[in-house]
Amino acid sequence: MEKTIIINIGNTIIHIEESAYELLKAYLNEVKHYFANHADDLEIVTDIENRIAELLTEQLEEQKKQVVDAANVNFVIGQMGRVQDFDTVEADAEEEPVKHTTYQAQPTDKKLYRDMDERVIAGVCAGVAHYLDFEAKWIRLAAVLTVFLGGTGILVYALLWIIMPKAKSRIEKMEMKGEPANLQGFQKNLNEELEAVRAHLNEANKHAQPLLAQFGNFIGEFFEWLGRFISGTGKVIFKIIAIIIVIFGVLFLLGLIVGAAAFQGFWDASIYEYFPFSIINEGNRGVILFSAFIVCFIPILALVLFSIRVAFSKQAINKTLSFALLIIWLAGVATVGYQAAKISSEFKQHAELTQTTELKTLPTYIIDIDKSKYFSKEDSIAYHINANQKNQIVVDDFEDGPFVSPNNIRININKSETGTTRLIQKFESQGKTFQSALQNAQNISYTYTAKDASLIFNPRFQLRKGAIWRNQEVWLNFEVPVGTKLIIRENAYRYVNNYGTWDCADKENDSNDYSTWIMTEDGLKCVAQLKEDAIKKKKLKEELLNLELLQKNRPVDTVYQDSVSNRIREVKEELGINPEEN
Amino acid sequence: MIAENTQTQMRKGILEYCVLSIIARGEIYASDIIAELRSAKLLVVEGTLYPLLTRLKNNGLLSYNWVESTSGPPRKYYTLTEDGRGILTQLDQTWQELAYAVGISQKGANP
Repeated sequence: MEKTIIINIGNTIIHIEESAYELLKAYLNEVKHYFANHADDLEIVTDIENRIAELLTEQLEEQKKQVVDAANVNFVIGQMGRVQDFDTVEADAEEEPVKHTTYQAQPTDKKLYRDMDERVIAGVCAGVAHYLDFEAKWIRLAAVLTVFLGGTGILVYALLWIIMPKAKSRIEKMEMKGEPANLQGFQKNLNEELEAVRAHLNEANKHAQPLLAQFGNFIGEFFEWLGRFISGTGKVIFKIIAIIIVIFGVLFLLGLIVGAAAFQGFWDASIYEYFPFSIINEGNRGVILFSAFIVCFIPILALVLFSIRVAFSKQAINKTLSFALLIIWLAGVATVGYQAAKISSEFKQHAELTQTTELKTLPTYIIDIDKSKYFSKEDSIAYHINANQKNQIVVDDFEDGPFVSPNNIRININKSETGTTRLIQKFESQGKTFQSALQNAQNISYTYTAKDASLIFNPRFQLRKGAIWRNQEVWLNFEVPVGTKLIIRENAYRYVNNYGTWDCADKENDSNDYSTWIMTEDGLKCVAQLKEDAIKKKKLKEELLNLELLQKNRPVDTVYQDSVSNRIREVKEELGINPEEN
Repeated sequence: MIAENTQTQMRKGILEYCVLSIIARGEIYASDIIAELRSAKLLVVEGTLYPLLTRLKNNGLLSYNWVESTSGPPRKYYTLTEDGRGILTQLDQTWQELAYAVGISQKGANP
C-alpha cells in the first residue's frame, strides 16, 4: 500500500504515488534550477511540464492504470533527458549562457527540520545538528546541560519542537542535510536509505515508527514520545513503582476487607458506640457499610489492576468487567450520598427538656469532677466487674480521642433570683421531628453526686443503649443565692462555661488546686480577685486623702496645684468616684 | 576531451539546422521532432529541444499554434516564419558549402 498524491501538472490532474511524486519533484527541481538563469525559463519549464503531463497521461492510458508510479516517472525522465544531457548539446550555443555552473557551486541552502530518523525525543537536536553541521551528540549534550541552567533548555526544546517542521519527505530530508535537491542528491539519498533499510531489516519496527508519527501534532507526538519513554527508558522505573503500588494496594484492600468484617460485627460489635459511627442508625448500618466499602474498594482495586498492567504488561481485567466495576462504584457513591443526606435530615429539629433539683442552701458549695465511670448493673456484668470488690474503680481518662463523640457536659453558674439553691439539668438533642428529637434527648443518661456541700459531676453523659448520636448536649445550670461561697476544683475549670475560671488564681497561694468564688449581685466573683481589689482600693483612698491635704499647701503655686489635681482625678477615676461630685 | 568538444560544437550547429529543416516540411509537434531526430540517429533528449525551440521562436524564426490534445494538455505545433524560411535558405547554402568543404578536405581538390 502506498499513499497517493494528486498533483496538477500542465493543468492536468494526475494521481501519483508518494515515492514517484518525490522523484518527479526532484527532477522538476533540477530542471528549474538548470533553467533558472535562462531568459525564457518560465516558458521552457512550462513546455517541459506540459510534455511530462502528456507523457504520464499516455502511459496511464496505455497501461490502463489510475496512478503514476516510479517506473512511469523514470520513463519520463529517460525521455526528457537529464540535465547533464542538456549540457552536452546546448551548452555554448546559447546566446544567454546558462549559469548552471554557478548554481552548482553555490553552497546549498539548508533548512531547519526535525530529523525523525535519528531522533531521541522529537528529533530537534538532530535537526539542529544537521543545520549547524555538528554531530548530534554534542548538540544533545549542550541541550542536557542547559536543562541544569534553570531549565531553560526544556522551554527552548519545546519551542523548537513546535516551530520546526518534521522532515517527512525525502526532499525535506535532503534539504535538512543540505544535499542539493536534484536527482543526483535524490538518488544518493534513496540509496543511503535503501542501504539503511537493508542493514536494519530486523529493526523494521523502528523504521516504521516515524511514519506512524507523521500525523499528529505536538501534543500527539509528545504523548507518543511519553509512551515510548514508558515502554523504553522509563519502563524499569515505572515497573518498580507499579509493583510497589500493587503490593501496598493489595495490603490496603486486605485491610479494607478485615475492617469491613470488623464493622459487620464479626469481631467487635461495639464499634458503633464510638463517635463517627454512632451517628448511623442501626437499621442502615449494613447498607452504609457495604456501599462505603464499595466506594473505597473499587478505586483502589482499579489502581492495583492498572499497576499490574504496567508492571507485567498484561491486561488483568477485560473491558466489560471494568465497566461493571465502574457502575457498581457509582451505585455505591449514590447510596452513600443518599444515606448521608438521610442522616443529615435527622438533625433538622431541636428539642430540649429540663430537670430541676432543689438543693439545700448552704454557705459554701464545692464543685468537683469525678472521672470514675459509673456503671449500670448490666454494664458491670458485661465488663465482668465484681460488684463486691468495693475498691475497684474504673477511670475514664480518654479525654479527646479520635472516636470520642462530643459528649462533654457544660456548667453554668448563675445567681438565684428566688434565693434558693438548685441544679437545673438541660438535655438537648436534634432529630428528624420534634418528637424524635425529644426522644433522643430523653435517651441521655447523666449522673452526678450531691453529697453534703459537694457537687461532684461526671464530666460526660452517656447515651442509653440503642440510642444514636444526634448532637445531644447536657447543660448544668447551678443557681446559688447571693453570698454563697463556691469552691471550684481545678478539675472542673474546663467545664464551667460562663466564667473564665482559669484567671482566678490566689496569688499568695499559687499551688492551690482550687479557686474560691462568691456570688454577688453582679454575678460570681473571684475571692482572691476581690481581696486584691480591696487592697488596691484602700491604697488609692489613702493616696487621695494625702493628695487632698497636699492641695491645701502652697495655694499660689499653679504648676504644683495642677499636678496634684491631675493625680486626684486619676485616683478618683480608678476608684470609680465621679470627679464632678465634689 | 578535444574530440568531445568538437563533436559537441558540430552537433549543436547541425541540430539547429536539422530542427529548422524538419519544421520546414510542415506544422509539427515537439515530440514528433524528437522522433524524426531519433530516426535520423541524431540522438537528443526532449529536454534539450524545448530551450532550442523557445530560442528560435523568440528570434522570430518559428511560430506555433495551440492544438487541443486528446491526452493531456494542449500541444504547441510549430511552423516556420518568413524569417525562418530566409534563414533556412541561408543555412542550406552554408551546409552545401560546408559539405563541399568537407568533401574537398577529405578527398583533395583534384581527384
